[in-house]
Amino acid sequence: MALIHVQVTYTMSTCGPPITDAGQTRWPPPFFSSEDAALLPGFPKQSFPPPKAILKTSSGSEREHFCCLTLLSLTCFAASLAMCFNVFTVNLTLTVCKHGFMFPLCLLVSSKVTTDHSVGGSYLGCEPMGLFWGLQPAPGEREGLRLRKKNVEAPYTVHISLLEGHVSPSEGQTTRLATVTTERWYMAPGVKRIEIRQDGVVGTLFLPPGPGPFPAILDLWGMGGGLVEYRSALFASRGYASLSLAYFGHKELPGPLNRINVGDSYFKSAFHLLQAHSQVCTDRIGIFGLSFGVYLSLRIGIHLGVTPSCLICINGPVGSTSKLSDPDGKTKQFKSEQTNWTFDDQGYVSFRKVSLPSNLFNGSLVKTENLTCPLMYIVGEDDQSASSKENADLIEETLRSVGKSHLFTRLSYPGAGHLIEPPYSPNSRASLWSVKPKKLVTLWGGHLAPHAAAQEDSWRKILEFLESNLRV
Amino acid sequence: MDRKQCCVKVSVQPSRGLVDEKFVVLVQNAFPGFQLTVHAHHQCEDGHGWEAFGHYTADATGTVNVSEDPSLGGTYSGAEPMGLLWSLRPVPGSKPGLRMRKKNVQTPMEITVSVYQGHQTEGFVDQVPLTGVVVERWYMAPGVQRIPITEDGLTATLFLPSGPGPFPGLLDLWGGGGQLVEYRAALLASHGIASLALDYLTPKITMETGKMVDNQYFETAYRVLQQHPKVLGSRIAMLGLCFGTSITLKMAVYSQVVKLRCVVCISGSHVQPVDGNLEQILSFFKKNADKSCFNEDNEVIWRDLLLPIPTDPSLKVDVGRLQCPLMLVVGEDDQNCPAYESAMDMKEMMERAGNSHLLTILSYPNAGHLIEPPHTPHARSSSLRTIGSRHMLMALWGGQTAEHSRAQEDSWKKMLAFLRENLYGGTDPGARLISHL
Repeated sequence: MALIHVQVTYTMSTCGPPITDAGQTRWPPPFFSSEDAALLPGFPKQSFPPPKAILKTSSGSEREHFCCLTLLSLTCFAASLAMCFNVFTVNLTLTVCKHGFMFPLCLLVSSKVTTDHSVGGSYLGCEPMGLFWGLQPAPGEREGLRLRKKNVEAPYTVHISLLEGHVSPSEGQTTRLATVTTERWYMAPGVKRIEIRQDGVVGTLFLPPGPGPFPAILDLWGMGGGLVEYRSALFASRGYASLSLAYFGHKELPGPLNRINVGDSYFKSAFHLLQAHSQVCTDRIGIFGLSFGVYLSLRIGIHLGVTPSCLICINGPVGSTSKLSDPDGKTKQFKSEQTNWTFDDQGYVSFRKVSLPSNLFNGSLVKTENLTCPLMYIVGEDDQSASSKENADLIEETLRSVGKSHLFTRLSYPGAGHLIEPPYSPNSRASLWSVKPKKLVTLWGGHLAPHAAAQEDSWRKILEFLESNLRV
Repeated sequence: MDRKQCCVKVSVQPSRGLVDEKFVVLVQNAFPGFQLTVHAHHQCEDGHGWEAFGHYTADATGTVNVSEDPSLGGTYSGAEPMGLLWSLRPVPGSKPGLRMRKKNVQTPMEITVSVYQGHQTEGFVDQVPLTGVVVERWYMAPGVQRIPITEDGLTATLFLPSGPGPFPGLLDLWGGGGQLVEYRAALLASHGIASLALDYLTPKITMETGKMVDNQYFETAYRVLQQHPKVLGSRIAMLGLCFGTSITLKMAVYSQVVKLRCVVCISGSHVQPVDGNLEQILSFFKKNADKSCFNEDNEVIWRDLLLPIPTDPSLKVDVGRLQCPLMLVVGEDDQNCPAYESAMDMKEMMERAGNSHLLTILSYPNAGHLIEPPHTPHARSSSLRTIGSRHMLMALWGGQTAEHSRAQEDSWKKMLAFLRENLYGGTDPGARLISHL
């Protein structure tokens, strides 16, 4: 009787590649030919990165044969409102190759996910991290789910199981031959999480371990609102003090939840709060924005008289997508500014056209020609939620016309969608946007494998950009 | 703004790992050619501080890679990826005779790795480092379950690997210090072996009645493991260190109940009255107590208690009758037990009996008695309260730190491979198996 043992190194790891990783993005062969890869901006030649999680399986077997195995990874997270468990599964099928045949009585068969190819399931090809970014809602789960970590002080627990044969989850229960459990953390040991409710500012500050002081990041998300902590937690795990700032849709902010009630003075206070912190280097602060956060980063970094060392913008507009209520930047109530909404044949709404430069509110366009620090702009070419490419073009052209192209770095990823996040988390091509007044699912865009590759490559480049602008 | 304060950074990959995993410590953004001290600090459960450090010179890119670059001095020297852990020693001013052992395996060891300017040797607590990170080292992998076992009068803890099971099992015995020591069993479970750590010198039943347990106690432990729904009853091994070896060999050869797939004995001997129970074996050792020596530091050396190896067969476990693979792990500088001499005698007995193909000996020059899982500090001697007495002694265990630490790494790797081969592999326990692990 053969026994199977599965192991993962590293058993508990911090999400995202180490800063020291010298590897480059691998481009899954079934999707792009090597000629395509060479033409794509921002893509280095293919090579395999040092593995972040090596999965090794071994078993003794009495017969020499090729056996088919399925690897399944499973993680649960609780939606804090409904307190339900949503199960995500991925199914990797790989063919185990014979490796080392010494005695008739015992054949040691081993396989490595890092070098072996998946021949089916949620992803194909040689994908060391596919079991993580390929996670999809399990059969039977409700539609429109998006995997996001609310509580960053506890890890994701992922169960990786070996199943016999090439099976898919929808076929029902199969026997698990072996399981290993791995943890994925947003907070490295020693990182401190500090709730900020000061000077009217609502946010969460993450400080790295060590004596400090540290370079810092002001971290802005988009119109999903609330207070999203995981990216800041990860920055702190990489040595940057990071303040995730709430500005919309948070009950501790003034005014109604359906509009932005804070303006320039709020964002200035946030920047100064960060700057004045005893553990922060006053002259090494960057601003990071995704989606609507891009407009805010540009506005804060260029209009408000604060001096960030660099700006990083992902998939967002250069002006406001909502009408301003005052020169300070607050917005009017979001009525149905739905003229620019488009719907696909599944009834999913795309906000892409809302942020076309011609549709942005004139008084709000940021004067990017006044930029004084390096700016990195990241585009997902399949972004269905924002007109990222058009806004990137506008910024690039504006800067070129005033001789500031040297400040501009652009990364552009084919097949990637709107939600370019830290690597190894699964992309949601669409997810639930609102339940009232009616249930709406919004289209983010992005296809699983290229989006995963974009997240991995962009994160590496983001960390390098921060390094050269905030640390050197 | 001070350039160096913001710039130098240190990273440890992985920042959370099992105790036996290796890590890579990388310092970056220092001035090229800069002198640096990489320092580790740990406060153990008893509140004592431990520290280790290495002296480095940043290369042309301002980088120090502890895994590749040589330490020029400190508590370790040369290229030692894990030197910051195995060379940890009590901070200046600590009381003598300390030994670091984790009691609570459900929490990690936290180690602060810092970088100081220059080549420092003392006064770290009074200085502000350039940068620092925290590393967690765990004995329990995610998903491993810890289950206290008190049935049938046992004092034990079972560690189950994560997953549906069932798993091969292992009985884990420590030595003469007694107590319920869990960390090795926890680590073995993290490697897929359901392991039962057994307290047999100071279990509840002995503490309450004053009586030592008999041979049945061990057979009961074996049975509890064998019958556990998540354990494969036909794939059980036994592991003993020091006095635990004495019990392990006795069970492996003479017990009608205990049937083992393989046996691992660390720093122990087969010398004992073969018909004796635990109490009788202890008396046998005590009888020879006059053979104890003391060195100039007043540390007691007990290796001579069992020497010379007797020729009388009633005083040695008859390993010629062993039917399963046996791995002996031996430190040649063991000052507590004549493990090397015993291993040589066992080899001879097995050669004569014709079962020496079952025997593997791992023998390490300059390794001492306490051969434990890797990457924890080496104690050449430490204070010990012997069983049944009230006063403390300083016991000399032996071993030179660097070589002892290398022996721990090498033996642990080989032990795991040996256990996996025999517990996970093929169906014929007698055949010699080759592992690619």
